[in-house]
Amino acid sequence: MLQSLGQNLVFGLLVGALYGLVALGLSLIFGVTKFLNVAHGELVMFGGYACFWAFTLLGVDPFVSIPISAMFLFLIGALLYKLVFSRTVKLPEESKIKNTLLVAFGLSVILQNLALRMWTADERGITTSYASVAFTILEVRFPIMRVASLVVAVVFLIALQLFLRKTYTGKAIRATTQNWEAASLMGIDIHKVYLLSFALGAALAGVAGILVTVNYSIQPAMGLGWTMKALIVMVLGGLGNIPGALVGGLILGLTESATSFFISSNYREVAGLVLFLLVLIFRPQGLFGAKEA
Amino acid sequence: MLRLEKVDVFYKELQALWGISMVVNEGEIVALVGPNGAGKTTTLRIISGLLPSACGSIRFLDQRLEKTPPHRIVELGISQVPESGKIFTGMSVLENLELGAFVRRARQERAEGLERVYAMFPRLAERKNQQAGTLSGGERQMLAIGRALMSNPRLLMLDEPSFGLAPILVEHMFEMIKKINQQGVTVLLVEQNVQASLELADRAYLLENGRIVGEGKGKDLLSFESVRSAYLG
Amino acid sequence: MNKKWIALIVSILAVIGLALAPVVIKKDSTINLVILVLLYMTLASSWNILGGYTGQTNLGHAAFFGIGSLTTRLLWIQGAPFVLSFLAGGLVAVALALLIGAPAFKLRGVYFAIGTLALAQILNLTASNIWPEMSYNPALASYNLIPRYYLFLGLAVVTIACSYLLVNSRWGLGMMAVREGEDAAESLGISALKHKLLALGISAFFAGLVGGAFAYYHVSYYLNMPFSPEWTFDPMMMAYIGGTGTIIGPIIGSVFFVLLKQLLVWNVGEYHLIIFGTLFILIVLFLPGGLVEVWKKVRTLITQRKKPGKVNRSEV
Repeated sequence: MLQSLGQNLVFGLLVGALYGLVALGLSLIFGVTKFLNVAHGELVMFGGYACFWAFTLLGVDPFVSIPISAMFLFLIGALLYKLVFSRTVKLPEESKIKNTLLVAFGLSVILQNLALRMWTADERGITTSYASVAFTILEVRFPIMRVASLVVAVVFLIALQLFLRKTYTGKAIRATTQNWEAASLMGIDIHKVYLLSFALGAALAGVAGILVTVNYSIQPAMGLGWTMKALIVMVLGGLGNIPGALVGGLILGLTESATSFFISSNYREVAGLVLFLLVLIFRPQGLFGAKEA
Repeated sequence: MLRLEKVDVFYKELQALWGISMVVNEGEIVALVGPNGAGKTTTLRIISGLLPSACGSIRFLDQRLEKTPPHRIVELGISQVPESGKIFTGMSVLENLELGAFVRRARQERAEGLERVYAMFPRLAERKNQQAGTLSGGERQMLAIGRALMSNPRLLMLDEPSFGLAPILVEHMFEMIKKINQQGVTVLLVEQNVQASLELADRAYLLENGRIVGEGKGKDLLSFESVRSAYLG
Repeated sequence: MNKKWIALIVSILAVIGLALAPVVIKKDSTINLVILVLLYMTLASSWNILGGYTGQTNLGHAAFFGIGSLTTRLLWIQGAPFVLSFLAGGLVAVALALLIGAPAFKLRGVYFAIGTLALAQILNLTASNIWPEMSYNPALASYNLIPRYYLFLGLAVVTIACSYLLVNSRWGLGMMAVREGEDAAESLGISALKHKLLALGISAFFAGLVGGAFAYYHVSYYLNMPFSPEWTFDPMMMAYIGGTGTIIGPIIGSVFFVLLKQLLVWNVGEYHLIIFGTLFILIVLFLPGGLVEVWKKVRTLITQRKKPGKVNRSEV
């Protein structure tokens, strides 16, 4: 009993890191641009397919294909910004959030159906030679794939954090987040900052897509579910709060695994959504709000 | 140096500025004074490109500014200290100053710029690693001005630099502006503190309801009867 | 005034035409197609009451459609008379609306949108957990399409007529005031919460009823299927493409959607949704008034061309 509870919690934490990475891109984009890109799950899906085809057709190891997928999604993100999201930049904040939410829903419909046409509705997954390797500590199993996901998530989190804190471009992004008007008075081209942030957020979704593919499976309709997870994590961890995404991910992972353990794994996702609603209702501005980071 | 001719500005359907024409010559301190809502901030915002002007022309050193985006205008040498500073509260004092030197022109001279600003505002040097959000009102205003100077501007535009400061600090602030001007930076100053700014300025424009209703040497305007009765009571 | 009479006469003719349709059309597939239009029309119009006229982007409309169909189907399977089951579907949807309304409306703007989305997903997942098995139509032996057609037609007419009456009433004005600005509305003595709850309740009622009609119509499906988010997104896109906050908008949008779907039916992989999604994005970005707005613009362009003098004057 106790051991199985421990196993559950460890799984929750490992999965939570993956959730954190899925939310990282969404949180970056929302924090900087105030675009609520609910097509994020579809970007994750595209990242997953990039890695799936690289593995199936070219035999590229999923972890090696991280840069491929990230680049691919970076370009898609830049394109989506240029074609669609850039049109909403000049709106006042509230209508910007609402309009990008609607536009992103339209996008998710398009991307989902494009994927359906190109790759059919089949569920796809990747099984590498080392997929079933696991090690055991104190009778708790650590599957290598999950642990690798944790490592990848943490590496990208730290890399993003360093980029934002230490580089000039990163500082310009943070300045734009805090006050875009003052930032443009510094000579920062905020359109460039928005483009870069959006593309980076999409690239992070691409990386997350790889981890989803190796740990679960992918299919064209998977988007909404992952978008919801990313939204939950973003609200739990605090908006635009980069380390918060990991914390939020861990909270969600633990909530899900505790629900599986004590109630039923069928209600895993329901528990996450209920938690989300509670936070929204009782701490609406506290976690999501426009507080300066 | 800077010349506005017959500039109209609209906020949606409401006209905010009516045929504004004004000139700022190299080396001057020019004040733009007037009551609340007269359009002073709006004037600065169209010069720095944050607002589009409907018609008229804005020229800076032979460059037309009407269609130029804000970041290019900073590159040309105009720097604005926005109303109440708008410093980046979530970043350190040093990071704020570094961002002030974001334009390519100023990036190479960042070290000298920092030295100059620290010399002018020693307080900022003491607090360089502190979060800007923890600064006092006066220090924030210093940081805002220091940040604007980091881009090495030829024209510095200040929006209500004395707003919310204690009287003793206000005096200090105006001295600072004078010092900056003496170092060769042209200054365009928007103020509600009419007395002090007219005393400081070489020339001044009076703005009311979006129109320029008077101009002249700062000291002359100060003795102008209508100005006295309207603003100085 | 004149225009109003024309609109009324056209609507009556359209309803008569639709009522006579089954006499003329003998092909079931065509009847099914019209049913689909009527279903979406009702759903999009009901979404429009809260989403369009009151300005609250409801991304959880599927919850009301779902709970209506679930209630109706379950009661009906248990042997209750269909009419009672049908009405119960609408009422349960209203009950759900009132239950979640007060907490949900603590969320403003986009928080409301994602909150309702989460809520609908909770119901969707829970329904599939509780009723994982396929549900079959209890009237399978004596299934007849015609009464189903008239149920959908009647429901669409009632929904649209009620929307029209509502938005032209004092309550409707209040709803629109809330859409334009909650704080301003409150300062005029209009209770935002009351009007939002009213709009949500009516919106949910018709969504629940059309869900019940769906339960009556559809032969076999998983009971959580009507909870699926498509039942929110498709009608929402229809309302936007036609024009939110207008009576005719959702009607145009739904007809357009089904026609597009039908035209592209030979294509595998939901081609029509790609086109529809693209159109939706273009409308949100560039034509917030929808196709109704396009039509208005075209019309003024034509009338202006007829009277060139007017153009000159308006240019001065």
